[in-house]
Amino acid sequence: MATGPLYVGIDLGTTNSTAAVFDGEKVTLIRNPQGATLTPSVVRIDGRGGVTVGARARRFLETDPQNTRSEFKRLMGTAQAIDFAAARLSKKPEELAAEVLKSLRADVKEHLGFVPARAVISVPALFELPQSAATSEAARLAGFEKVELIQEPVASALAAGWTADEANGSWLVYDLGGGTFDVSLLETRDGLLRVVGHDGDNFLGGRDFDWALVDWVLAELGRTQGVTVSRADARHATALRKLKLAVEEAKIELTRAAETALTLPGAFEAGGNPVDVDLVVQRSTLEDLCAPLIDRSIEVCRRLLTAHGLTASQLGRIVLVGGPTVMPSLRARVRDALGVRFGEGLDPMTLVAQGASIYAATAGLDARSVGPVDEPGRRVWLQYPAMSSDLTPHVVGRLVDAGPASEGLKIRFSRGDGLWTSPEISVDAEGAFVLTVDLLPRRPNVFRLEATTAAGVPVRLSPASFSIVQGMTISDPPLSRTVGVALASDDVHVFFERGAPLPARRTFVLHTVDSVAKGSHGCLLKIPIVQGELEQAHLCRLVGALEIGGDAVKASLPAGSLVEVTLELDRGGHLSARALVPALSQVFEHVAHLLVPDATPESLDETIKAMRLRLRELRQDAARRDAQRTIGKLTFVEVALAEVETDVAAARGGDADAAQKARRTLLEIDAMLEEADADKRWPELDQEAREELAYASLLISRYGVPTEKQLFEEATRSVEKARTARQPVELQRQLRVVRNLRSAAYHRDPKAWEKTFERAASEADQATDLVKAQALVRDGRKAIERGDNAALRPIVEELWRLLPVSAQSKKLGYDSGVR
Amino acid sequence: MAIDPAAVEKIRDNPFYVLGLPPSATRAEVEREGQKLLGMIELKLARAAQYATPVGPGERTADKVRRAMAELRDPERRLEHELWARLEPASTTAAAPVPAGDRPRRRADAPWPGALQQLGWRASR
Repeated sequence: MATGPLYVGIDLGTTNSTAAVFDGEKVTLIRNPQGATLTPSVVRIDGRGGVTVGARARRFLETDPQNTRSEFKRLMGTAQAIDFAAARLSKKPEELAAEVLKSLRADVKEHLGFVPARAVISVPALFELPQSAATSEAARLAGFEKVELIQEPVASALAAGWTADEANGSWLVYDLGGGTFDVSLLETRDGLLRVVGHDGDNFLGGRDFDWALVDWVLAELGRTQGVTVSRADARHATALRKLKLAVEEAKIELTRAAETALTLPGAFEAGGNPVDVDLVVQRSTLEDLCAPLIDRSIEVCRRLLTAHGLTASQLGRIVLVGGPTVMPSLRARVRDALGVRFGEGLDPMTLVAQGASIYAATAGLDARSVGPVDEPGRRVWLQYPAMSSDLTPHVVGRLVDAGPASEGLKIRFSRGDGLWTSPEISVDAEGAFVLTVDLLPRRPNVFRLEATTAAGVPVRLSPASFSIVQGMTISDPPLSRTVGVALASDDVHVFFERGAPLPARRTFVLHTVDSVAKGSHGCLLKIPIVQGELEQAHLCRLVGALEIGGDAVKASLPAGSLVEVTLELDRGGHLSARALVPALSQVFEHVAHLLVPDATPESLDETIKAMRLRLRELRQDAARRDAQRTIGKLTFVEVALAEVETDVAAARGGDADAAQKARRTLLEIDAMLEEADADKRWPELDQEAREELAYASLLISRYGVPTEKQLFEEATRSVEKARTARQPVELQRQLRVVRNLRSAAYHRDPKAWEKTFERAASEADQATDLVKAQALVRDGRKAIERGDNAALRPIVEELWRLLPVSAQSKKLGYDSGVR
Repeated sequence: MAIDPAAVEKIRDNPFYVLGLPPSATRAEVEREGQKLLGMIELKLARAAQYATPVGPGERTADKVRRAMAELRDPERRLEHELWARLEPASTTAAAPVPAGDRPRRRADAPWPGALQQLGWRASR
């Protein structure tokens, strides 16, 4: 095998998994012992505890479902135990994922001759933090020393970009998986790949095509034989599973044939009599069944383009990813609707794995474990991009033991092909040097380090060489969803915006709302960590919480105390958090890492009931106002709710995965209802926007600096745009910008803090600590008399922190104890 | 009148100053410079530890450099930073790529006195 670094990428899929190896020049797909590049993500554990993975396990899916499991990727991050009856074992989803990874790892070893220690694994763009954490855990269990995660659309784009001829343009990655649909807008310019935006539909996938066909078959049975089979009926679970596998095969056959037979003798039982399934499925039937689903995906594409001010005609091309995208009717429909050509020669089934392996190169994640360097010579630390779009990147180096001995030492790099050599430079006082190297495009470049003393005597350095691949740059993976801390006001204090580069680490100072009494067990200060794009904490997902208990504090902590909260995310999206309480000089690091909540059919039913009620109210109101847009939105909610009910029914039949899907859908429906609610409040919001603009323009014209005026003009245009398009969420966002500018201008008014103080002082009688508040009001009055504006500001801020928080908002904000 | 410390920090954290680049820098230059600075910070080189701004030197960290690079990759966000980075940092040499083997740069601790007035603040006191 090659002597240079090798990079391994793995697509850990819901249905199939794939591994690929990148050597800096080309990607090779790894074949499993059956000779296939796709390994089914199916695990079987037999009565003796023997584990089988892949195609051999998949064969038992139909006949022995109690001991053969698939689609566990959807359960990643949940506490759902998966039972294996014969072996009397119960496994966590990540343990099963680890079995698949182990199997792929063994295949890679077969190919490369060594066991890969490091790799990149792909995850869906919209994976929540607990799901990513479970994926990392699966890799650890499979024996990987280090893994990084990459979002699937970014991986697809990297793979597509690597083979692209034209360097510049916008593209769409259309990724239709088994259970989710993701679409990403990307832009490449001069070898730099940027994710412009994501959108998706968490409840649309190839599986829905299968279920649509299953439902059609059941309807046909009802029509021709008068038999009613409900998907909610647990007695039919086995038969339904068989039927689903059969329609999957039929679907694949129909990609080539115009019609296919679907035969399952005695599949169901009705009134003690066997019911046969014996149907001919036309390709056109399948197309008709899938068309509404495909149209939904096209709508999502359009929505994403509109959100970024683009039309389909401005797209360079579309990259198709995922098994369902091989369907000819899907391809035709998407092409006709968007009028964009597809990327040629890209395999939708393995593109993600290919991209993951290329990403491993950009991250410098050589599959080989790095042992201690035993090359002779003076040790040098080197810093360089393992992969770079730049043809002339910098390489920074430093001698490990810089001292008098390094004085006058001269360094030079020479490229492996002998056709390029850098100028010779002296190391500086710190023993450091910076050189630019010259890369040959689209391939790995090896450079040798050469050093001589002032006297011209050659010196050996260790390492003696390094390698850089010239290709694309995507140095930092962007965060897919905004992460912040839920506050007691049900607001979110944003720590990392969506798209922030990872790794990231930020600290903000928050204040406690209630006191924490020392030694009390019931007393718990919660700092909930949430992920999501919406402004209200309760609409975001809780992904973890820092807890400061009364039994852990060294002394009682009064309300309004400072807490310095630090959140840190590594490149793989792993979250850690700490809270420093300066008053106690104590650090709290215990993060209750939450699992994706359990979804019992009962709790789901209850949520659906509450939503139906809310839906009815909103609908009545919308009808009264004749608000067509809102009515449209609510109709969509109605359809989605009906789908959730189907899933809950399936959940009652024992399908844990359907329960999770239902839970997710309900969260999205909640956000949609919230949007409809915002529509209802639109006249208010619109009025607020007009008043805010008038007020802000007065203050900014009087006190604003030129840059603020310029930014205000831009914000005004955006506000007007959002008003015209009636986008409440966007309008709120833009109003926030205006408010910030206005507030900055306002506080240049010498009287500003005085006025703010008076407003806060008028509410001081409601303060959580009345004595302290009164003292602050007295101090403030004195400061005003002295004309000491500088002293006034901290007084006002402290006073604010003593004003009460409503119990209701606190409850909504996941019982947050901070603000 | 006191100057809003948040506004000063905003100027100090401007990605162009963090990377030591002029607002006219190309995208490729941003990537190249950022990647070099990350390497220098990783190797704890003293000459990369600080950068010059009109409001005095800032401390350069890997996190700041990565954030700066991400900000400048987004054309809309970059535009805003270009507006705020019109002022030359106190030490103009900061913008030039450092030739290897150079003496460590003169530390830019003297802020440019006219900076804030230029940006529209009234003189303090």
